[in-house]
Amino acid sequence: MKSFDYVITDEVGIHARPAGLLAKTVKALGANVTVAKGDKTASATSLMKLMGMGIKKGDTITVSVEGDDEENAAAEIEKFFKENL
Amino acid sequence: MALDYRKCAEEIYSHLGGRDNIVQAAHCATRLRLVLADNSKIDKKALENVDGVKGLFESNGQIQLIIGTGTVNKVYEEFLAVTGMTAATKDDVKNAAAAQQPVWKRALKSVGDVFVPILPAIVASGLMMGVVEALGKAIPNFASTDWYAFLDMVANTAFAFLPVIVAVSAARVFGGNIFLGAVIGLMMVHTGLLNGWNVANEDAINAFFGVKDGVIPTWNLFGNFKIGDYVVGSISRHGYQGHVIPVMISVWLMCKIEKWLHKKVPEMIDLFVVPITTVFLTGLATFVVIGPIFATLETYVLKGAEWLVQFPPGAFIMGGLYPITVVMGLHHMYNVIEAGMLSVEGGLNTWMPIATAANFAQFGACLAVGIKCKQAKLKTVAVPSALSASLGITEPAIFGVNFRFMKPFVCAMIGGACGALFGAISGIGAKAYGVTGIPGYLTIDKPGLYTVLLLIAGGVAFGLTWFIWKEEMPEPTAEEIQKQEAAENANAADSESAITGEPKIYAPIKGNAISYTDIPDATFASGVLGTGIGIEPAEGVVYAPYDGEISSVTDTKHAVGITGPNDMELLIHVGVDTVNMQGDGFEIFVKEGQKVKKGDKLITFDIDKIKAAGYSPTTAVLLTNSDDFENFKVVKTGNVSVGDLFAEV
Repeated sequence: MKSFDYVITDEVGIHARPAGLLAKTVKALGANVTVAKGDKTASATSLMKLMGMGIKKGDTITVSVEGDDEENAAAEIEKFFKENL
Repeated sequence: MALDYRKCAEEIYSHLGGRDNIVQAAHCATRLRLVLADNSKIDKKALENVDGVKGLFESNGQIQLIIGTGTVNKVYEEFLAVTGMTAATKDDVKNAAAAQQPVWKRALKSVGDVFVPILPAIVASGLMMGVVEALGKAIPNFASTDWYAFLDMVANTAFAFLPVIVAVSAARVFGGNIFLGAVIGLMMVHTGLLNGWNVANEDAINAFFGVKDGVIPTWNLFGNFKIGDYVVGSISRHGYQGHVIPVMISVWLMCKIEKWLHKKVPEMIDLFVVPITTVFLTGLATFVVIGPIFATLETYVLKGAEWLVQFPPGAFIMGGLYPITVVMGLHHMYNVIEAGMLSVEGGLNTWMPIATAANFAQFGACLAVGIKCKQAKLKTVAVPSALSASLGITEPAIFGVNFRFMKPFVCAMIGGACGALFGAISGIGAKAYGVTGIPGYLTIDKPGLYTVLLLIAGGVAFGLTWFIWKEEMPEPTAEEIQKQEAAENANAADSESAITGEPKIYAPIKGNAISYTDIPDATFASGVLGTGIGIEPAEGVVYAPYDGEISSVTDTKHAVGITGPNDMELLIHVGVDTVNMQGDGFEIFVKEGQKVKKGDKLITFDIDKIKAAGYSPTTAVLLTNSDDFENFKVVKTGNVSVGDLFAEV
């Protein structure tokens, strides 16, 4: 498992649109990705859970990647966060 | 949460049935994963009540305790200290859990693991091959056209080189180098060897080797050294076209050899020594041991089959056992039987009805799976595989579906046996060989009785499968586990969390319903968030679209997620970009985890305020997991009132 921390810089945080894009990105990579904030976690492909976490600007989240090509997948996802959130 | 990690770990330990019962422990982001010698020795109730344990479930032979992010690792460390265990990786835990299953189950799982990834290749080819062959038989002129030759080549490539595809997939499953796996597969269908389908065809043997006696020449690696009649190290120079199990065994062996060598050989010369030694040893074992075992078995199967089909009870048995010989790759020489039957003056190929019964039963069983299953993915495999089987190409149906789940396979064996018995009693036969199933109409002598045979074989297999086989959901994915965790966290006291009811969605807002693709926002319109409708609201109130549970609410009050019957997850997102309004103009009446009834008020919003802020009030109503519902369809658009049925799954 590979994980990294990320501080959200987007003004409105993870709402419907970025959650949808994240889910799409993760599905394309075929990895199991979970997003954790405090003691709440959600699968990155589970839109409802992700939105329900209410992640906002300034929040630190931990993203964990599990799968065949974790290194690569984690890098891709980190890139996604930097570009979109 | 001020959890006493030590105490938590000690309490968990005390309910696990003693130190001897714990095989391995590991943790992931939220869960403590345990492999126990005997899962029945633990005290589940007590474990669930341990302070810090949020839930417990069993999965793949593991016991998983939900503890939580940031806490589980600390509890895990204490757990290791308490038990005196060493840390195991998650793979170790998975392997240890897999090892608890009986050997045949693991072997069966391996067959499935190897076959599932290659299904796209063989399902497509199987179907195409069936169609092309049938056309060739039905329209004699077509068989001599260039198009036929070309289509035939395209269609049969995957089958002609099936061992290569199987070998690559097997190497991946068994953890070897896939390119070495490809080499083993290629070796088994090498062009320097006689095609495996021709081992009983004397003319082909004579033409291929330039001999006259119709006997395949051998390579004798160790001279003429004999044990009894067996020449040690003798290799019959034929390939393994169409074989599956021998290929898997060879590649499995290859992976063992490769891994063992990687451990023993110094790194400096590893690249030089390991591949060449692996390929050589595997090749030797394949052609000297594994191949001959199957070739010998095949000869016995042939003799047994010839004897069996002389009387109806024998046909019954053969119709049942036929698919097993296909699985083992021992069915290549059956055309010898057929040719023998036809070579007699006025002879009738009575083998063909038996083969047809067996094959058509696979069709019936596979079709039953295809119709009954709920998983869209399985359906898309099972239905075309069934079609292919009805045309006589059964590999996709057997390996891709029936054999994987076992029960459909057994049902098909019974169906095949019944059909074969009918065939033998009615005495029907074919005037040629090469086709079974529906294309068999072209060669059969009594089409009417043949139809009855197809109905018996396919019908029995279909009916049995329909009633006996139950769809097992695949191992829970991370997402499902998340859901499970959410459910357990949300209503720890309320164990009944499944939502029942009709899987129908009713309009949550009064207004004008449009296709989701017309929502004035690229993301919603693209379907990334799921499919559904948009509603241009006439009234600023959102009502519950069905009986369900609120799965998420946003702090900005403009969106709500609601889980309903059949795990439908509906997102109701009021307006476009309204997240920027930070809740101004919105009021929300529910909270996460709350149960709601259809028609309950969820959100109110101020349409004018949204418009004044410069946003569109068009509300997205999307089934976020619409991928899981193949039959999801919107049944009403245009003007809708609250409570109008607008979609079903």
